Amino acid sequence: METTAAITQSKTRTESRQGKLWRIAAIARNAFREAVRDRVLYNLVLFMLLLTGASIFIGELSGGQERKVIVDLGLSAMLLFGVFIAIFVGVGLVYKEIERRTIYAVFSKPVGRGEFLVGKYLGLCLTLLVNVLVMGVGVSLALLYVSRGWDPLIPTIWPAVLLIYMELMLLTATALLFSSFSSPALSALLTFMVFIIGHFSADLKSLAASLGSTSARWLFTGLYYLLPNLANYSFITPASHGRAPSLEFVFATALYAFVYIAVILAVATLVFSRRNFK
Amino acid sequence: MNNRTRTIALGLFVVIGMACAALLVHRIDTLRPPEDPNAIDESLYVNGKMARRISLGFNGLAADWYWMRSLQYVGRKIINAENLPIDRLEQLNLKLLAPLLDTATTLDPEFIDPYEYAAIVLPAIDVNEAIRITKKGIDANPNAWRLYHQLGYIYWQQHDYRSASEMYGRGAQIEGAPAWMEAMKAKMAADGGSRATAREIYTRMYEQSTDDKVKDMAHKRLLQLDSLDQRESLRKLFAAYQARTGRCPSSWKEIEPVFRALRIGVDASGAPLDPGGAPYVLRACEVELNPESEVPAK
Repeated sequence: METTAAITQSKTRTESRQGKLWRIAAIARNAFREAVRDRVLYNLVLFMLLLTGASIFIGELSGGQERKVIVDLGLSAMLLFGVFIAIFVGVGLVYKEIERRTIYAVFSKPVGRGEFLVGKYLGLCLTLLVNVLVMGVGVSLALLYVSRGWDPLIPTIWPAVLLIYMELMLLTATALLFSSFSSPALSALLTFMVFIIGHFSADLKSLAASLGSTSARWLFTGLYYLLPNLANYSFITPASHGRAPSLEFVFATALYAFVYIAVILAVATLVFSRRNFK
Repeated sequence: MNNRTRTIALGLFVVIGMACAALLVHRIDTLRPPEDPNAIDESLYVNGKMARRISLGFNGLAADWYWMRSLQYVGRKIINAENLPIDRLEQLNLKLLAPLLDTATTLDPEFIDPYEYAAIVLPAIDVNEAIRITKKGIDANPNAWRLYHQLGYIYWQQHDYRSASEMYGRGAQIEGAPAWMEAMKAKMAADGGSRATAREIYTRMYEQSTDDKVKDMAHKRLLQLDSLDQRESLRKLFAAYQARTGRCPSSWKEIEPVFRALRIGVDASGAPLDPGGAPYVLRACEVELNPESEVPAK
């Protein structure tokens, strides 16, 4: 009798877990469709124009350094466009649903607030993945064009693309966290500040080390560990010199991103579940 | 007015409006007071360290921008002095070049080309800065043997053959360095001031450089060395002619048969041609370069 009950309970749990995943996937799919409908991927056209122009004209200006310039320009544009998408689309993910009052329809169904947030997050991550993949292919094609054939820089840009994508995933989570409790404008500003501070993290550490006051040292050391360390994801310049990060480095940064994103989404869910929509 | 007519009218309005805007811009350009030529020499607002700090991970792109700006800066100044080799730009007042190259290399310390450019162009403007930037490149890229070659070249230009030999020796020890680095070390130590050493340096520079301007400079220096050899031979010829006849040749025609015997190319007037193909000028027992020649005089 007890065994049957345990089996039934386990079956119910498995079904519930599957249902949860299915609901998250459905929300993610819709978030991706919404981004496509909102013409977010149109930035790819601009990116392609930028790269095509650079491939044709940069040779004249760079003193024979067109391959380096194309990698720097292509990957920097990838990061910049991605940051704008992560911030401006990310902060609107939840807000738009509240503004249009569609959130009531969503929550009238058996969808948890955490599921809703994670689904939205994964939807935007999927949009960004498509974005960086197409851009990565674009940079590779530009390199093929300027080298008139195979270029040894092509395989070394992909680990840098992966790191850029991880940085964008971190920023998207941050944008979602801020948008779960504040207005889109403030969320965008705060996320952009996190992006800036995240690239200054090494300075925070050295600042902490140089300070005389113990409390100030603690504060800045705390901030160093608390804020996302985005400088770890900057591998554009080494990639332009044909250097790829070690597998261990990529694994460690991926693990850091995974843990950090999980924490941010947990906090966002906590804040969002206490929010009153009445 | 139906929809179609309205669309056409609006389309025409946009085209005509843009044309008017372009005409106005053209007119405004003619009305604008001429640009202050000193404006392009305005000091940089941010130094390399600060630029690196605020570049937010875009330091590679910022370095590229400073690199291209250095090239444009020299390019704009050199535009009126096309025949000037890039290692003789002292009269162009390129005071911003060192800070621009320094910033580019601080933003991206592995970017080798700005160091090499500094080693070639800067010695004529500020040799201490040229040495400092090249040494900075060696510190950041200890395995780049080409930078030792460039630093050796700067020391060689300063007639500091001992330091030059030391640099070639250090560079020769790097894995992947060509065998001629070791040979250059010995040559610098034994015979640093000779024309043969100079020829060796410029030949290697021509072979190794990826920059067209550097290649062009090395090519011109090699032509100059050949021309120096030729002019030396011509002076010997004049001396022999003078010893034989008691006077200097009054025209090239008088000694043309000798050129033919020595297989030296001559033009229609019988004047020998320099390595660039321009005829030499004969002036009172002295041979001079033609002002039109591509061989640099200095």
